[in-house]
Amino acid sequence: MSEETLLSLDREPGHSLTRRLGPFIGLAAIFAGGVILNGATFLNPYNQLNVLGRISIIALPAVGMTMVIITAGIDLSVGSLVSLASVVCAMLLMERSPTRATAVSVPIFVLCALGAGYLLTRAILRRFVSDPRRVGLGAAGGGLVLAAGTALWCRTMIPSGFGTLAVLLIVPGLGLALGALSGIIIAKGRIQPFIVTLGMMSAAVGLAKFIAGKGGQIHPVYYEAAGYEAAGTVHTAPASFDALSGHLTLFGIDLVPVTTLFFVAAVIAVGVILTRTRFGRHLYAIGGNEETARLSGVLVDRVKTLVYALCGALSALAGVLYCAAYTQGKSDAGLTWELDAIAAVVIGGTSLMGGRGTVTGTLVGVLILGYLGNILNLQEVPSEVQDILKGVIIVGAVLIQEGTLLRLWRRGTGSRRRTRSQPEE
Amino acid sequence: MTPRLRMQAITKAFDGIRVLHGASLDVEAGEVMGLVGENGAGKSTLMKIVAGVHTDWDGMIALDGVPRRLGSTREAEAAGIAIIYQELNLVGELSLAENIFLGREPTTPAGFIDYPEMNTRAVEIMAGLGAGMDVTRPVGELRVGRRQLVEIGKALSQQARIVIMDEPSSALSETEIQILFSTVTELRARGVTVIYISHRLGEIFEVCDRVTVMRDGRTVGVHATGEVSRQELIAQMVGRNFEQFFVKAGQPQPETVLEVRDLTRRDPDRPGRRMIDRISFEVRRGEVFGIAGLLGSGRTELLEALFGAAGAETTGQVLLNGRCLDLRTPAEAIAAGFGLLTEDRKDSGLVPDMSVIGNLTLAALADLCRGGFISRVREQELAETYLHDLSITAPDPQLPITSLSGGNQQKVLLARWLATNPAVLLLDEPTRGIDVGAKHELYLHLSRLTRAGMAIVLTSSELPELLSICDRIMVLCEGRPTALFDACEATQETILAAAAPAV
Repeated sequence: MSEETLLSLDREPGHSLTRRLGPFIGLAAIFAGGVILNGATFLNPYNQLNVLGRISIIALPAVGMTMVIITAGIDLSVGSLVSLASVVCAMLLMERSPTRATAVSVPIFVLCALGAGYLLTRAILRRFVSDPRRVGLGAAGGGLVLAAGTALWCRTMIPSGFGTLAVLLIVPGLGLALGALSGIIIAKGRIQPFIVTLGMMSAAVGLAKFIAGKGGQIHPVYYEAAGYEAAGTVHTAPASFDALSGHLTLFGIDLVPVTTLFFVAAVIAVGVILTRTRFGRHLYAIGGNEETARLSGVLVDRVKTLVYALCGALSALAGVLYCAAYTQGKSDAGLTWELDAIAAVVIGGTSLMGGRGTVTGTLVGVLILGYLGNILNLQEVPSEVQDILKGVIIVGAVLIQEGTLLRLWRRGTGSRRRTRSQPEE
Repeated sequence: MTPRLRMQAITKAFDGIRVLHGASLDVEAGEVMGLVGENGAGKSTLMKIVAGVHTDWDGMIALDGVPRRLGSTREAEAAGIAIIYQELNLVGELSLAENIFLGREPTTPAGFIDYPEMNTRAVEIMAGLGAGMDVTRPVGELRVGRRQLVEIGKALSQQARIVIMDEPSSALSETEIQILFSTVTELRARGVTVIYISHRLGEIFEVCDRVTVMRDGRTVGVHATGEVSRQELIAQMVGRNFEQFFVKAGQPQPETVLEVRDLTRRDPDRPGRRMIDRISFEVRRGEVFGIAGLLGSGRTELLEALFGAAGAETTGQVLLNGRCLDLRTPAEAIAAGFGLLTEDRKDSGLVPDMSVIGNLTLAALADLCRGGFISRVREQELAETYLHDLSITAPDPQLPITSLSGGNQQKVLLARWLATNPAVLLLDEPTRGIDVGAKHELYLHLSRLTRAGMAIVLTSSELPELLSICDRIMVLCEGRPTALFDACEATQETILAAAAPAV
């Protein structure tokens, strides 16, 4: 991706100066705090890579959440989708016979393939064929072929266990479908996103426990190299899956965690979507004024469905990476992650009222939360105190961005200036 | 005699930009003072200073000869100043009565809201305005014009000594305006001072004793309304002479562009009722087709139905250039060649946080895209073309659209639709809340568009405007067409007669 794209990610409309710069100043302050308090330990490359690796997984739902919040929506189900995805992922890798995981995820994946095949063939055919009926038939054919191929491919993998590429496709497909389901209900049912995704939050965890079996048992992931002797009773996952938890290395030096590559790719992709595409512009329009968006020809229902679907897919991808990083799938893997995701988005300057926000802001929000946790860990601050501090930071960050503190301070010092007045008429 | 309100040498800046340069205003007790000027002249800013909204200004304000500095809207209210804003400030979910007494609810000794008392008083106030309304209804269910009356009722309930009305009539029907005028007269008789801001000079002459003219943040003239002519006022407002205010479009061409047959729209909230009922008409190439009618006559509902915004509630046939359309969504209508400039900029026109450019190109993005990616170069070019063509004053088009004045915002929204190259442009109250200069410009643009062959369907509650710029005028009453006039044969009286419901 070009440099220009990265630089322009934060050029979104509607930002006051504090809103735009606040997150960066906050990040710089936290980073400086880390250097002052912990010095070399903090700056040590291993510590930095550790922080990056830890935040990269949780950052994926935050990136999806950014798009959702820009439409003035909210997605409370991301944590549950992470949990569900981690369970499904672990079972697909480790089991050698059809399970509840395959029964749920494979048909949905085949459906996704059907849809993808249809859209892809249609897009291609439209360039060459003008008759819409022939385009429709051809596209349906393309979808069926891709779906059939996918079904066969999945069938062949059940006896040998699913591969890394397979879980990287199948599990996000599950998230995509569940996200789309939330989106459709929100759009067509005209129900508050808070309520619908609250329902999905509960249902997805329930589904995760049901699939895991025995009230939500943990499904560990084993590798050949780990030296487990009980071959024949316990299967192993492919080594390539283990690589997801490793680092990108050059000449034996760890450069960057593999999970961070996913994170960076997601930030760039969503940044491009938000700043460069019609879909992205429509997200801002819906969040800014839904009625105007509708009257300007935005297909509001379709856009909403898609945005929750994308958020679900990113969450499920985070579940796969969680499974790799912690070598297990468990039905409480993503517990309270939705709150961290929302916190990162909000610290990054995206308005919960919708209509404005950037993914670079979210990137900074994720880094702020990550470094904060790291510094407090290095200082051996107890986790309960960390939670309190995190709460203070979240609220404080928003107070600063909204200019509230500045205004209170000015009033306190007797100045009669108001900061947020705008010329009207 | 000491004036009730004296403002002298008021200056005020927003973020370093001066909007008032020594404006002044003197109003006597029991006087109705008109305040006129183009958008951006500083009228609303000056009034917000009186109302305690803006507190960082320089200059002098005296109430009954006593210098005052109002530090908040509460203080202003306590000093007997009530302001009714151009953009209404009501809570849609609360009832009429709750809105009127918001923050000042009468309470029982136990501290609960005394609803019987509140509702009784609200009924009295609204009856005083000649509007017998169910005060327990949520305000959100009312049309804009009715909400305006509630705002006025709210100001009256505060026992205000100075009532400021910022564009009070812009959303009112002729009947409601008459009620408003009698209210203003009544206030004057009670010794209340009224400051009346309006772009409609006819109203100023009808209801005001004196008129203050502002231009570019300065007070440029004060006249008794009996001693000044309309032309002189306009000249002073714009700083130059106006040859002709209204601009008549060119001659319509013979071929029919839009044909509507038996268009009907059911009311989803009241089964069996129809918002518009079997409306048929034709619009020719280059024609401005006006729709007149009182509030609630179905003007807006008709345009929405044409635009596909009413979805499945609509039945009937719409033919564009002879092709029968079945429009179920605005997206389909836009693709077919319609554009709709809505009545309420704030509710359904602006995307407030989005840039000027983003707002301008919103409906035309499909033409600027390849594979879903927006071409920034083409977007910029398109925006600049229209910013230039419509002479929109936008210092930085990357800033949110809310940084522009009302007239310029409206021009951006017009540009949004011109950018889609519509065959039929539907304009719902296009001149509502914009100043004389911007209105004149808008007429010029409409005339240019019709000469290029565009068909325009336009609603307005300003009859002189309809009569001057339309070719034909259809009158609606309670959802039914009651008359169709050639504009040159119609008069305000004939239109009003057709618009009034038969009792």
